[in-house]
Amino acid sequence: MELKLNEFARCLQMPVTTIERWIRQGRIPAKKIGDSCVFSDTALKKWARTHNLSFCLPDEKQEEKPDQKMETLSEAIDRGGIYYDIAGDTVEQVIDSAVSAMQQLGSDTARRVLYESLVAREQMMSTGIGNGVAVPHPRTPLSNSGIADQMAACFLEKPVDFKAVDKKPVHVLFVLVATTARQHLHLLSRLSFCLRDNSFLALLSQRPEPETLRNKMAEFDQRLNNGE
Amino acid sequence: MEMQMLHIFRNTPLGREMLLQSAYFCKQLEILPLIYIPDYIKFLMYFENDVVQVDLDASYLKAPDSAKAHASEIVQGMGLPQPRFFAPKHFTASTLPDLPVDFDFMCCPRSISDLSSKIGLGYIGPRVRRIVKSARFPVLIPSAVYKPWTSIAVLFGGSSNAVKALRLGIRLSRRCGLPLDVFSHPESRSRQDYENILQEAGLKEDFDNYVRTWQIFENRSFAENMYEIPHDALLVLGAYGHGLIKELLFGSTMEVVQTVTPNSMLIVGPNYRAVI
Amino acid sequence: MDDRLLLIAIGALVGVCSGLAAVALNTGLHFMAGALSGLRTHWWLFVLPGIGAMLSSLFLEKGVREGAGHGVPEVVYSVSRHGGLLRLRSAFSRLISSCLTIGSGGSAGPEAPVVMSGASIGSNVAQFFSLNERQRIALVGCGSAGALAAIFNAPIAGLVFTIEIIVGEWSARNIVPIAVASVAGAQVSRLLQGKQIAFTHLRFEVGITATLAAIGLAVVTALVSIALTRALRGSHHFSGKFPLPFWVRAFLGGCVVGAIGLMLPEVLGEGYHSIRQMVEGSFAPGLGLVLLLVAAKIAATSFTLGWGGSGGIFAPCLVIGSFSGLMYHRFLEMLWPGLSLVNEGCFALLGMAGLVSGILQAPLTGIFLIVEITGGYETILPLILVSALSTTICHAWEPASFYFRDLVEKGQYLRPRTDAKVLADLSIAELVETDCKTVPRSMRLGEFIRVIQQSHRNYFPVVDPETGQFEGMIHLDDIRPYLFDPLLYETVFLEQIMETDVETVDIHDELSGVLARMDAKGLFSMPVVSADRFIGMISKATLLDKYRNELMVQTLH
Repeated sequence: MELKLNEFARCLQMPVTTIERWIRQGRIPAKKIGDSCVFSDTALKKWARTHNLSFCLPDEKQEEKPDQKMETLSEAIDRGGIYYDIAGDTVEQVIDSAVSAMQQLGSDTARRVLYESLVAREQMMSTGIGNGVAVPHPRTPLSNSGIADQMAACFLEKPVDFKAVDKKPVHVLFVLVATTARQHLHLLSRLSFCLRDNSFLALLSQRPEPETLRNKMAEFDQRLNNGE
Repeated sequence: MEMQMLHIFRNTPLGREMLLQSAYFCKQLEILPLIYIPDYIKFLMYFENDVVQVDLDASYLKAPDSAKAHASEIVQGMGLPQPRFFAPKHFTASTLPDLPVDFDFMCCPRSISDLSSKIGLGYIGPRVRRIVKSARFPVLIPSAVYKPWTSIAVLFGGSSNAVKALRLGIRLSRRCGLPLDVFSHPESRSRQDYENILQEAGLKEDFDNYVRTWQIFENRSFAENMYEIPHDALLVLGAYGHGLIKELLFGSTMEVVQTVTPNSMLIVGPNYRAVI
Repeated sequence: MDDRLLLIAIGALVGVCSGLAAVALNTGLHFMAGALSGLRTHWWLFVLPGIGAMLSSLFLEKGVREGAGHGVPEVVYSVSRHGGLLRLRSAFSRLISSCLTIGSGGSAGPEAPVVMSGASIGSNVAQFFSLNERQRIALVGCGSAGALAAIFNAPIAGLVFTIEIIVGEWSARNIVPIAVASVAGAQVSRLLQGKQIAFTHLRFEVGITATLAAIGLAVVTALVSIALTRALRGSHHFSGKFPLPFWVRAFLGGCVVGAIGLMLPEVLGEGYHSIRQMVEGSFAPGLGLVLLLVAAKIAATSFTLGWGGSGGIFAPCLVIGSFSGLMYHRFLEMLWPGLSLVNEGCFALLGMAGLVSGILQAPLTGIFLIVEITGGYETILPLILVSALSTTICHAWEPASFYFRDLVEKGQYLRPRTDAKVLADLSIAELVETDCKTVPRSMRLGEFIRVIQQSHRNYFPVVDPETGQFEGMIHLDDIRPYLFDPLLYETVFLEQIMETDVETVDIHDELSGVLARMDAKGLFSMPVVSADRFIGMISKATLLDKYRNELMVQTLH
């Protein structure tokens, strides 16, 4: 086979200077002709394996997992949905009704798993982050439950004492479900950006229409994407 | 990364002209000159597949006291910053330093080991030839007297080495903004063949963008055509592009060119690898 | 054809060529000896070695402009630093110059010159075929092995010397072509010069007393080796102090040798004749004279080699070694007259092994060489003992052998598969990480914190945006105290925080030096700056990756 020197170096993920030196010193089973390298594909793969290097030709780049696309708030809320009048007097009850209300959870088993992990998380420490908002989420990502990344906004029927940090009763839940820890942190950081904004808090306390809330979140997404 | 040009300085009027040429070259192309003031009459250059011993002409060791000051003065006079001086780190024997070969350019007079009286047209010393043959960098062979050049001329015969020379010419022209002229002397090729070669080398677009004029000589002898090359151009050409046999039979283009043109020449050897 | 087969075939060719070179030198020496033998009676002959050494040095310096070195260290340097590239002129220059020196009576040996010439033949054959460095080194080894095998008619010694001294790496890839070349060289010599063993001798009956006595001999040879090493170097430094042209110096040195030779002719030339007598047990002079001869031969060798003559130390080692062995034997006999020791020839032989091993610090070479050139396998037990002990004692006093000492001093002693070799091969340009974000000095802290958010590095070079000049560094640690103080975000500029007095690395620096600086200063990474331009960072973290890669590539085949 024949490849340009720099392509060849890229296949081995080494600097061109190193590869050139190795060829010159005869340490690698390849020959240099002009600016190109001539080598046998199989021999080189075998060599790379025994030397703790990786070699893959440009056209057979391993299926790199496409860098997981990070969700925006609007995408997550589209999948999770917006729900009103979630009933219940205690933390468990509200979470139960919220999980029941959420539509995109798949099987009943998944629903129960989610409920149990949300409650377990609350028992550890409240997710009430103040200003009447709580963000219930599982402690570890539910990667094998079959639940997609999503965020559900659940407006409660009546405020519930969530043992929040500021001791205020909670009137809205954002249930966060993520398949990876990174995705979870990403969504949480985006959400917390919104919740620092007073106009957003004011909007939440008015129980906005789904459309209004979505528009507001899309606006925040825009601002975040612009690098704020 | 900054590019460097090695210049071996001799502290004589002839050496001054050489350094002026180098300094002008460096200034035009924004290269840093690296000056070696030899302490020993010999040095070795270890190339990839050859080791070249250069026995300098004795005038290189003259007047070592003022050499550094003179060199700095010349380089700074050209508007360049204070040059750097090279001190050899490795020695093969105690009086035989090794010079590294990872520079981007090197300046050689037509002859580096023989008496300077031999420096003239039609003669390139055997050491300089071997350096050109082995080096990965192009070698600047300046004209005997300092003369600024205001355009770049490439001799493009169509061989693989000529393609390298053309590529270098285009890069130089892009870097210093001077016009580029190409001269071809078809031996058996037609204009269409040249176009194909350019296309294959991926130079078509650059060629159209940067080349001011392209002259294809026909009918006249090669040496006669050399008159068309502007007197104030830097001549870029490939050397030893043919096989050994063909060269023995027909001689290389470089031989003819260097016997008839007094221009400063930038010679691209068969091992040249692109740097700019 | 398969690469390995090709290498073996070319190796055999190189072996033959270097064998021919060795035979040529030998013939030249015989010719010189024959031509000059008629003159031996004249008193003014002491100038003869002087003229020889002068011509030899003039030839090396002016004739072929060799830039004279000792020979073997130059080969080792080129093998370890430049993949065995040697000049074509070295293929013949030392043959002629050493022929002049030794033939005229200078005290030196023909072995280092033939090794040099064989190595150069191998290197140039490899260059002709455009082989890579590993193959070229193997061919350099082939040349040296073939030459040594031919000059001593000792194929195993050729192989072992090459592996121990020249190549420094025991691997099947090297040994096979070198062994073949050794055979080829020895065969050439046998065809052209007859199958001769240099020093034939009577059969020795080696008993337990001789083996025990060998321990004492090892101490003696080690001491003599050290004396010889010191004398050689000392005379080289001493001669360098005279502000004389090199050829006058060589002439004077040669004349001194000639003067010694007037009184003690045994010290002249390579001296194989006296070795033959000693091994046969027919060397007449008594203990006192032998003691004097040891000293005289050391002096003659130092004056020859240290003052500008050309040649090797192998043959002088053998001569001095056999003198030492003889001296020790006679000394023992004097102490215990009734002791039933083996013939003194055996001790001369052991002494040679001891001295060669001590000077070269290569025990195997000593053992195999002596076994082969004397055909005396029955002495193998005391031989191994003397060689091993002598090497050990010398190593304690002189950590680097005669061949390697200069290389060690210059930091060029780079044997394959060692840390020094790996570090020498890796260049800064290969290690530099260029994915650093540069920042201007006028940036506010607030903006900088955003830059940090988007970067995954801890170091940020401060660069003048207009001139591109490197101005300093900011490490994440530098701003940690201000990181959570929003008040400072808009009021502090980077120039107030940045470190301006930074240790930097040049792209052409040697890695070993850079690492030494890092260790001394306790740094984990350093900026690479060339001509005031920031190029990148080198850090110990990535260095480990690259170092491992390099080590694996260099050691696993």
